[in-house]
Amino acid sequence: MRQLYLMAAFFVAFSYVSVAQSPTDALMMPKGVLCVLGQYSGSSWDEYWEGANKRSNLNIGTFTNQSAMIMANYGITDKWNVLVGLPYIWTDSDSYFEGERNLQDISAWLKYQPLAISSDFGTFKVQATGGLSIPASNYVPDFLPFSIGIQSKTASLRGILNYTTKHGIYATAQVGHTWRSNTKLDRDSYLYNGQWYETDEVPVPNMVDATGRVGFINSKIQAELSVNYFTGTSGDDIRYNDMPFPDQQYESDFGRRVCQILHLERACGTGQFRSSVVGAQCWPEHDVLGRRVVPFPGGESQLSQKRAPVFF
Amino acid sequence: MKNIYFVYRLALGFGLLLAFSQCDKTVDLPVFEPYAETNLDANAGNWKTYVLTNGAEIGVPAPEAAVSAAYQTELADLKNKMAAATDEQKDLARHWGANGVLRWHAIARELAAQYNVPPNYNADGTYPSPDPMNPTVYPRFPFATPPYASRAFALLAVAQYDALVTAWHHKFQHNRLAPYKNDSDIRPLIPENDLPSYPSEDAVVAAASRELLKFLFPGEAARMTELAEEHKNSRLWAGANVQSDLDAGEALGVAVAARIINYAKTDRMGMANNQAGFQGQKDDAIARGITKLWTSTDVPARPPMLPTYGNVKTWNLDQATLLANRPDAPPQPGTPAFETALDELRAIAKNRTREQFRIASYWADGVGSYTPPGHWNRKAAELIYEKQYNEMRTARVMALLNTGIQDAGIACWDVKYYYLLPRPTEADPAVTTCTGIPNFPAYTSGHSSFSAAAAEVLSYLFPDKAAELDAMALEAANSRIYGCIHYRFDSEVGLTHGKKIGSFAVLRGQSDGSQ
Repeated sequence: MRQLYLMAAFFVAFSYVSVAQSPTDALMMPKGVLCVLGQYSGSSWDEYWEGANKRSNLNIGTFTNQSAMIMANYGITDKWNVLVGLPYIWTDSDSYFEGERNLQDISAWLKYQPLAISSDFGTFKVQATGGLSIPASNYVPDFLPFSIGIQSKTASLRGILNYTTKHGIYATAQVGHTWRSNTKLDRDSYLYNGQWYETDEVPVPNMVDATGRVGFINSKIQAELSVNYFTGTSGDDIRYNDMPFPDQQYESDFGRRVCQILHLERACGTGQFRSSVVGAQCWPEHDVLGRRVVPFPGGESQLSQKRAPVFF
Repeated sequence: MKNIYFVYRLALGFGLLLAFSQCDKTVDLPVFEPYAETNLDANAGNWKTYVLTNGAEIGVPAPEAAVSAAYQTELADLKNKMAAATDEQKDLARHWGANGVLRWHAIARELAAQYNVPPNYNADGTYPSPDPMNPTVYPRFPFATPPYASRAFALLAVAQYDALVTAWHHKFQHNRLAPYKNDSDIRPLIPENDLPSYPSEDAVVAAASRELLKFLFPGEAARMTELAEEHKNSRLWAGANVQSDLDAGEALGVAVAARIINYAKTDRMGMANNQAGFQGQKDDAIARGITKLWTSTDVPARPPMLPTYGNVKTWNLDQATLLANRPDAPPQPGTPAFETALDELRAIAKNRTREQFRIASYWADGVGSYTPPGHWNRKAAELIYEKQYNEMRTARVMALLNTGIQDAGIACWDVKYYYLLPRPTEADPAVTTCTGIPNFPAYTSGHSSFSAAAAEVLSYLFPDKAAELDAMALEAANSRIYGCIHYRFDSEVGLTHGKKIGSFAVLRGQSDGSQ
């Protein structure tokens, strides 16, 4: 609880990571139904982790990251849904660094529900989603934490299992893998795993993520508790007091993760455009190697670790 | 029909997976292959040296004759070593065979990047200093700032150059043929040439480079030794040298390196971080009527970077000439000229274009990078590979370039701490930057000075590239304006000043006996 309190002091997070109507949940729009959702999320921090070292960085001061996202979900058939999402992200800090603001990556997913078994108690559903994303603007990929993304194209596959009782109590488990393309920087040299590369191309780690949720949903309200896990399958470690870089891996330990997300919102009706998400999120303390880590709020194609821009 | 559809879907799925598995986290890096040098520069033993008196100063024992039993035994050993070489060793033979001088410069650039991390502040707001006596303890020694890196590249280049001039002197005195010229059974893994093989130019370069980099990056001694052994052994795996070629080269490289290190110990770099002297510099500036003085924008305020680096010994001009070429004072805060320059930055900060951001980022060469001097070294390496220079001529390019760049950096630091002009963000906090504010005064721009000197020297050496090189220097200078960390006059005067200081390296090149 003390941990939770401390974290709450560092992050006031409103996250869209796992809200209803996303490629990671089990909601399906019936045939012909379009649901459009606007979402705002924001976070702010003045301390962060560099490996095992929690620190402040007076040269950044307090950093803020905000995002407005539009997300549409359409039922092609009862079994096939298509989803599209596009976030606009802006960053700032009370330092002399200029923040960035731009459209980030546009994503599209196909969601397929091959199986739905109903009984007197409820419904069991099996679903799969496949998605693609590409950068939607020529945003700067290499000025973290101020840059809003890393200019990587992605493809993802995920499987979802869900059981919902007829009273609206549900449990969902999903696991996904995201392939991420190499990115190109404005500069054409960089340090990666201690080696000096004289090229502008940077490998970006693929990601594995999993979510478990329990919650309640009816036609008016949804409340949910969720646990998230995600990890990079390769990548670099941060160095003490070094600059940020788009290749850094994020690892978290599912077992040790203390993270709940509580969402309260109304369910989506046909053609509605509305907001929003109310939530609180906290972050993992350690990664699998025992390093302290901090995720980067605001989207899975963003970096999760930050290094300090302190210059000579 | 349903089966065909299923197979089709399966194939599509696998195709998609294959497409993404191919974006497999590897990146295309430039590959440099061994080449046969056309011009051997047979008279390079007479070229003008930097620290040594001349190429004859350090002696090398006469080699055994080709017909001697000792040499014949060496040839037999060489054939055994070639036959036993693994595939990995053969790859290394080709790697080091592609211009050993440039391979060591690439290592130096990597070291500069690895060590280019500023110490973080202590809890009490002070900053720890790297300790050369404990180089591996945080904060590691050295903090490879641009001045430190430029000096490291220059010392490495000068050691390689003086060692190779000496090697060339002895090569053409003894005229021992390469093993593959003495024994037609030896088929080397790298292209043949007519260069006499004793002492081995590769062993000379390996030993001199190892000694210099151990001196400059003392925490890396073990790794440098390992690399030098690999480099020397690669000549055996390649069939390009016998052991006595290598042993003579090793001894010569060590002897020359010792002389260069002695020079480095007295080049006043040891006094370049005189923080106590900084107060004197400020008092002097105030006495000259300067009222607004630079202060650190780091939080907490960081001691200025190498305030007395401007006193370090220059290579191609003396200190009187350096001072005689010091630019005039910049426009002072509050004057119309200063406000005009600041207004330009206010406008950029408010509305920086993506292209301006790209240029600022491309030339930033900041923390964790090989620094601007490293950027220009890499450009020089590309030009040399294009021209397929031999090691001797390569070393000349790198020595002229890096002494010119270091001279320009020293001259620039002198100017910075003489005028102590505040950074734009100090003058107006609304001038936000898209790159870090360096921890030293604004006027003149270091990037502009380094780049103009580099372009000046490289344009002399590669005249057909002059227009491209000048455009690069101009873009590097502009990048600091786009980043809003320099006024336009910082960059413009930096370019003129850097070009002037670089011209002294060109003068040396015009009279070093290589024509």
